[in-house]
Amino acid sequence: MQTTTAHEAVRRRGSGPVAFFLAYLRGELRRRWRQSLLMAAGLAVGVGLVMTVTAAAAGVGEAQAAVLHSLYGIGTDVTVTTAPPHSPASGKGIFSPGKTPQHIDELSAATGLGLLPASAVESVSRLKNVAAAAGGLSLTDTVFNIPSAAQAAQSGSLTRPGSFSVGGVDVAHLGLGPISSGTIVAGRPFAARDAAADVAVVDADYARAHGLSVARTVTVAGRAFRVIGLIGQAQGAPDVYIPLARAQAIGSFHGKSGVNGKITTIYVAAASSADVPAVQAEIARILPSATVTSSGNMASKVSGALATAASLTTDLGRWLAVAVLIASFAIASLLTSASVARRVRELGTLKALGWKSRRIVAQIMAEAAVTGLAGAAIGLAIGFAGAALITGLSPTLPATVAANPGSAPAQGLTITGGTLHQTTLPGATRTVAVPMSAPIHPTVVVITVLLALGGALIAGAFGAWRATRLSPVRALSQLG
Amino acid sequence: MYTLHAITKQYRTSSSTVTALDGIDLEVANGEFLAIQGRTGSGKTTLLQILGAMDRPTSGQVRLAGQDLGALSAHELTELRAASIAFVFQTFNLIPTLTAVENVESALVPLASLGPGRWATAADALAAVGLADRAHHLPSQLSGGQQQRVGIARALVKQPRVLLADEPTGNLDTDTRDEIIGLLERLWRERSLTLVLVTHDQAIADRAQRVISMSGGRL
Repeated sequence: MQTTTAHEAVRRRGSGPVAFFLAYLRGELRRRWRQSLLMAAGLAVGVGLVMTVTAAAAGVGEAQAAVLHSLYGIGTDVTVTTAPPHSPASGKGIFSPGKTPQHIDELSAATGLGLLPASAVESVSRLKNVAAAAGGLSLTDTVFNIPSAAQAAQSGSLTRPGSFSVGGVDVAHLGLGPISSGTIVAGRPFAARDAAADVAVVDADYARAHGLSVARTVTVAGRAFRVIGLIGQAQGAPDVYIPLARAQAIGSFHGKSGVNGKITTIYVAAASSADVPAVQAEIARILPSATVTSSGNMASKVSGALATAASLTTDLGRWLAVAVLIASFAIASLLTSASVARRVRELGTLKALGWKSRRIVAQIMAEAAVTGLAGAAIGLAIGFAGAALITGLSPTLPATVAANPGSAPAQGLTITGGTLHQTTLPGATRTVAVPMSAPIHPTVVVITVLLALGGALIAGAFGAWRATRLSPVRALSQLG
Repeated sequence: MYTLHAITKQYRTSSSTVTALDGIDLEVANGEFLAIQGRTGSGKTTLLQILGAMDRPTSGQVRLAGQDLGALSAHELTELRAASIAFVFQTFNLIPTLTAVENVESALVPLASLGPGRWATAADALAAVGLADRAHHLPSQLSGGQQQRVGIARALVKQPRVLLADEPTGNLDTDTRDEIIGLLERLWRERSLTLVLVTHDQAIADRAQRVISMSGGRL
């Protein structure tokens, strides 16, 4: 028996076009939840992989940049170096046991680097499109004890020398060079008044390992330098910074003490990134014997496991991600088309009721869009998980850079087993260990969502196209 | 209401041509209850599809209320079906994920002018076939007879001029069959519809004002 109350209740409840649209959408997704979930999962794997690979590539890129920043500073666009002369070192520097023990503390130019005149900095700074230029000295302080001849005869071996890297810094241009990539964590940075003073800024990790702190002293080339600040910086940067003038006064090159008026590196900042090639060319013109390397060139000079990782993420990783993405789009399209095929009766009925094709298309596309959003959500979770895994494992990858970045590392000859071998000289390269991470930038998140949504809508378009081609007669004729 | 002249419908298969309708001439008066009988394959469903503007004849002319359907575009035929022609199907053809009242409302979707009032209109149509207390049930929760009532409500909710029913009781038991035919008959009288019903059941055909028989695509 018909109840008026039930009828009135239904009428009062009300609805509307949007509510009907959503009810149909909800019902269809619920009915085909397994298929929708499969489609979303497929899209999620594709976009999640893209996200993880992109994050890994960004991490590798940041690691490479960190390596280069630690060596050349953040603001440096171009570095100018030169190769050392081929002539062998003079007799000085070769130590032999004597009657008494010897303590040697020698500050010499880093292996693989030659000397440039400090006046070249002024010439470079006057070039068009050069915002700033600064000179620096890359030195190595080697400390070792040589026993007396008698002691050496008894022990038969020499003690291993210790060494640390020293950077001579132009205190008037602290925005260039490796010191610019660090952050003062204790004490103070260099000031203009420190140009001729025996003061030092020490790497925070080096200071911790050697019991150094602000106000204590560090010995460089046998001289005491007062520590005025500790600097936090990436691996590969110098352990101790002293004013350039002091480094020039106490440094040595190929056994000859004092490198006054000399530098090993010119750090150059261009007026803009677009000017870098022109600046590079101009410097090469005025310093034809120098090696002029841009920041872009420097990136290609990083070798080692970090470079291999960069190659893998860029080449193999991205192509793999693209292939998986295309496969997930294709599968989503097939699933949607199959779904439309199974709904022939339903869609034919709607056409018989007078539904226009575009209304049916809107329904199918809405279902695809919801599936795409679900795929995006799952894909984001996969991407974040993948990136977190990489960051959590934090594999440390070694990266090797030549001291003279524009040339091959300095080579030497050794005789082993009667055979001559060419090897890279110790100190001619610098190897730093860089912990890998996989940062996710907001842009990547947006791209991931758009990819999943785009893939779903492409799949929906295939299904919608199929639906529009259905005539109500052909659809209904498949029924009983 | 309808004037059909020399209607022929042929289908091409990979190996031959099938003639479903062969030179049909037919007139259906406004408000008439017409039954079309015939064996399976006689062409009665094809004739119904042409009357319902779901298909075009291979040759011949179809006029509905004086309008030549052959002169209308596919878009215009869709609009005509939406506003003026209603269907009741043998297999009910309800949308399985929509409730009874939502299924009825689906017939009003193409008629944008009704807007927010269409829910009440759908509820009224459902009440008219005695199913107000089943409004929120899914088709799977309704019996065959109840599903066909929903189908009838869906057909009539838009106040069509023509109701075309293709074996509406084909999937129902005898008692339910009588109930559904009785409902159709009552609604036909109350609303002055033009009702064209395809059936192979003589008992149902006898309830019509006129019965035509088809065989081999001919009357």
